[in-house]
Amino acid sequence: MAVKKDYKDQKLVEKLQDRNYYVSDSNPEFIKEVERLGRTAAHMCYQCGTCTGSCPSAPRSSYRIRLFMRKAILGLEEEVLTDPDLWLCTTCYSCTDRCPRNLAPTDAIMAMRNLAFKRDIVPRNFLKTVQAIYKTGHGVPNNDANRAARKKLGLDEEPETTHKYPEYLPGLRKIIDHYKMKEKADRILAEGE
Amino acid sequence: MSGNNRQYAFFLGCIAPNRYPGIEASAIRTSANLGIDLLPLKGASCCPAPGAFGAIDLNVWYAMAARNIVLAEQMGMDITLICNGCYKSIYEVNEKLKHNDDLRDGANEVLAEIDMEFKGTIDVWHLAELYYDPKIVGIDKIAESVTRPLTGAKIAVHYGCHLLKPGKERHFGDTENPMWIEELVAALGAEPVQYRNKMQCCGAGGGVRGYDLAHALDITNEKMINLQEVGADALTEVCPFCQLQYDRGQVEIEEKFGIEWGLPVLHYNELLGLAQGMSPDELALDLHAVDVEPFLKKIL
Repeated sequence: MAVKKDYKDQKLVEKLQDRNYYVSDSNPEFIKEVERLGRTAAHMCYQCGTCTGSCPSAPRSSYRIRLFMRKAILGLEEEVLTDPDLWLCTTCYSCTDRCPRNLAPTDAIMAMRNLAFKRDIVPRNFLKTVQAIYKTGHGVPNNDANRAARKKLGLDEEPETTHKYPEYLPGLRKIIDHYKMKEKADRILAEGE
Repeated sequence: MSGNNRQYAFFLGCIAPNRYPGIEASAIRTSANLGIDLLPLKGASCCPAPGAFGAIDLNVWYAMAARNIVLAEQMGMDITLICNGCYKSIYEVNEKLKHNDDLRDGANEVLAEIDMEFKGTIDVWHLAELYYDPKIVGIDKIAESVTRPLTGAKIAVHYGCHLLKPGKERHFGDTENPMWIEELVAALGAEPVQYRNKMQCCGAGGGVRGYDLAHALDITNEKMINLQEVGADALTEVCPFCQLQYDRGQVEIEEKFGIEWGLPVLHYNELLGLAQGMSPDELALDLHAVDVEPFLKKIL
């Protein structure tokens, strides 16, 4: 004999019974964008949860990669892009390595972050890295203590990078400027002040 | 530098030259002892950091990594590097641009503005894989180069993420329990030890270290618990960013969580340098946040 499932939440019951239920702010194009940027067929996800089970961030936060995959497929763009958990993926690729559908959930997350950035949603530390690289060519630049240590080791005080050859910086900056990334980082950081 | 040595363009990245220069110094010296010359890749920049840049605009990531690759193409040399994060950016973008016309065209459109073109003429290697490859160096030659075996030291290996994973886009075989870096450690006379959840991330990647330090450190701390269980004398890795997270991270763990581990963390090239007779001063081991002295006492 079949057991009838019962939910206490009356609104939810109504939703589930409504065959024409439709989330008005769902964007069916969203998953296509995620797939294009992430270069992975994210809509193939069958929600097995291997990803969340492999995730080092999951046991210590509310970040659930499986949930992001589902929400992306459902087109819940707003919910996905404004969720602070989106930035808790360490990009360890354990989920991608183990996904039985051969998907890359990590790259889907990266794509969603790219889409968030398009709407100016981005943690400040990412923007500060942009500024550092624009200025010096390095995300983690040299400093005086390190210069002294390098000298003692018999290395040049500046490594053989844009640090020692700043004439390479204009080319690098042109690339960043092409995508207006520095401009955008400056603006968002200034607005947050 | 000897005439028979193999030559590679040496991509430095950021954290090795700018925070742990002993890794750079030892890579150059230990490799020369093994028949590999590391030549400066002049004007290279940050790889750029895959978590920081790839996360916000993949196109910038492709183009900036491509610029670094083109510098090596102009030298006519393969790239070798010493950091997993750099490996992801430089290796992966090189492969992606070689195999995807749309990505290559996109990057070249931008590179044209600075008179550069990605041609896809070189390959990218992590220095550790060149060491392991018997056609290049191999375990036997590493063992032969050892003048001061690290006898009696129990050393745990942290592989890091971006060297091996995702496995289907790499060529290192098993990603669940690889053993080849343990072989490299054993070649130095040390005893490699196994521990729980070896392949877990250091916690720093994807911009998480900057976004939520306590979260990143909690992941790091779990590794420390697992390492203590097996009595490791030191942790080794092939990624300066993982090294930063485990080394400075232990200081931060003490500040934030009140837990003191005191586990020395050394890049494989620093270990190799010690085993080939370099002194702690020649490796700038005093720059490490966690005192390396207890480990040195064991082996010197």
